[in-house]
Amino acid sequence: MLENQAKAALGSGAPSQAKAPARALKDERLVRPSPRSAGKPVAMPAEGTGLALRVGGPPSPRAKKKSAAQYDRFIPSRSAMDMASSQFNIARADADAPLDGATAAYQEEIARACGVSINKRILTFREEAPTSERDDLRQVYSRPALKSSASTGAKRRILNTPERVLDAPGLVDDYYLNLLDWSSGNLLAIGLDQSVYLWNASTGDVYSLCQLEGESYIASVKWTGDGSYLAIGTSGGDVQVWDAESQSRVRTMAGHQARVGVMSWERHTLSSGCLDGSIWNHDVRIANHKTAELVAHSNEVCGLAWRSDGVLLASGGNDNLLNIWDARSTVPKFSKTQHTAAVRALAWSPWKLDLLASGGGSYDRHVHFWNTTTTARLNSIDTGSQVTSIRWSVEYRELVTSHGFPHNHLALWSYPSLAKIVDIPAHDKRVLHTAVSPDGQTIATAASDESLKFWRIFEARPKTGKAGKAAAVAAAASATMPAAAGDSGAGMAASAAGALDISRPFTIR
Amino acid sequence: MSVQAQLTKGKISLEGSARTVTEFFMYGINSILFQRGIYPIEDFEVQKKYGLDIWVSNDQQVVKYLDKIMASVEEWLNAGKINKLVLAVNTRESRETLERWQFDVTLVEEEAVAAGEKPKPAKSEKALRMEIQAIFRQIAASVSFLPIIEEKCTFNILVYADSDAQVPTTWTDSDPLHVKNAEQVRLRSFSTDAHRIEALVAYRRDPELC
Repeated sequence: MLENQAKAALGSGAPSQAKAPARALKDERLVRPSPRSAGKPVAMPAEGTGLALRVGGPPSPRAKKKSAAQYDRFIPSRSAMDMASSQFNIARADADAPLDGATAAYQEEIARACGVSINKRILTFREEAPTSERDDLRQVYSRPALKSSASTGAKRRILNTPERVLDAPGLVDDYYLNLLDWSSGNLLAIGLDQSVYLWNASTGDVYSLCQLEGESYIASVKWTGDGSYLAIGTSGGDVQVWDAESQSRVRTMAGHQARVGVMSWERHTLSSGCLDGSIWNHDVRIANHKTAELVAHSNEVCGLAWRSDGVLLASGGNDNLLNIWDARSTVPKFSKTQHTAAVRALAWSPWKLDLLASGGGSYDRHVHFWNTTTTARLNSIDTGSQVTSIRWSVEYRELVTSHGFPHNHLALWSYPSLAKIVDIPAHDKRVLHTAVSPDGQTIATAASDESLKFWRIFEARPKTGKAGKAAAVAAAASATMPAAAGDSGAGMAASAAGALDISRPFTIR
Repeated sequence: MSVQAQLTKGKISLEGSARTVTEFFMYGINSILFQRGIYPIEDFEVQKKYGLDIWVSNDQQVVKYLDKIMASVEEWLNAGKINKLVLAVNTRESRETLERWQFDVTLVEEEAVAAGEKPKPAKSEKALRMEIQAIFRQIAASVSFLPIIEEKCTFNILVYADSDAQVPTTWTDSDPLHVKNAEQVRLRSFSTDAHRIEALVAYRRDPELC
């Protein structure tokens, strides 16, 4: 390739003219720390063997790097050499003709003149250049086509303080449980020790849905896609399905031998991940509910997420494995071992169907991005803290990661540049669970410091003047409603054993 | 050890020259980032260097990022393994290279001494400073002919190193990131007693102006 370029540029008389440049180059070569391969051929003539042409040909420049060390240049006797084949080698002019020493030197000289370099590496720093924070937000707001600067009052705010703080006493401090979920009907379910409480985000009401008997505790909660049913996984291995409207239990699916720490719905199929490493698929419509058993984890399954189209299921375990399952099979489609700690945080991208983000535990602290169609790892971030969950934004090309040890914060990243937009110091202890509101603007976080905080991270862009004002008014209204309902809420809370106290101080914007 | 002290002892050593060249690159890169608007003007502050006021970034992240890069570059300069340093300005959206500032590094060898001639007198600090000043003025002046950059940009630093250079894991191989349809302008050069730096800027030829 290079040889052709150089040859074409200067005619094919190169070899005959090469001898003079070869000698002139000699001094330079010997003085400069030379790349192994290119240096050798020219040094030879200086030693006075008079053998300027290399017989039998050295490997072409591309291959030089590998085999230069093994190549033996000493030729003991002429008679033993095959003159015919060597002449043929010299004469032929195909692209991969091995260069003799002088030609190689000549080519290099030409290459240097043309600005192309052989035997040189072009290195670039792995990390991307930092983006100015100011810059990034401005870009996030305004689309490239708009030349006019952002209109007044239309800046995106990501506040460092929570919008609201609720008390969550009794929240079990266990990394492997998944006790928070927000339904599309705007009900937030939280599992506090033996009970599940539902908080209505629109009205501010709170009530206890159920209470477990004996020694068992709530290990996971998950709403169905339409928000009508809530699945509850217990420490005993039972999976209960409750109707939120009537607040009654619809069915109990037993069978697991150990606690069910994580679940994921796919229309009428519920996948439950167990402490023993198995994942069961239940069809909740039929009596014999267990439809499949997926066994590929040797330790507790802590992350489980169906893709929105129901074709793939991602599972992460305490054995540091990330498995991707095809819905139709019980053997994983592929498995990734990149993480060096438990993979609990899993999230499918809402705008790119095969993009999956996975986060590792306290020893790993990385978030890896995968293309599940090609199985390639696209990108990685070292977040610096244990990753407890990942949530993608629908409105913006961003994702928010929540963390435990050691910083206990929320980090907002833009995708695909992976620049950190902001760090929000969220809690005093590990941020264990997160949930996204149905309108996609607020993230709820629950931590082992027994508090539940709400962060308006993905504030919706105001559409136009009037519509924007209407949206702002509506947002203010919904924020004040819980205050008005606070009295009735407090009453309800008292009846619910005063567990979830919403009359605690909260800030409203 | 300051450049002055080294010079009083005689010719500047390779390490001292590497330090000077690294400093030059650092200020040069900052200056280019400011002139081309890679980062907003508010992120820069003025520092006096080489007898000029040079705009240097005061964004901690950028400073840290450049420090990491320059540390490796200085090592390679000391070892004599670096041939070129390139600052490529790309658009953030499409990663297309708009501009390419290339600095060629060549080692100035002691040829005169080997041939038995009188060694060249050590370059005075003042002369060196004047040469560097000239380059900075040229970078600032280049704004007059370089096309205006409308899009949000980011930059990449490329290093052309010898294949046997020690490469830390923070660096990886890359394409040369050439500019398509480039116009090239050679800027002034300077040399310390051990290194010779030549500067060159390649930019996108504006189709309308042709």
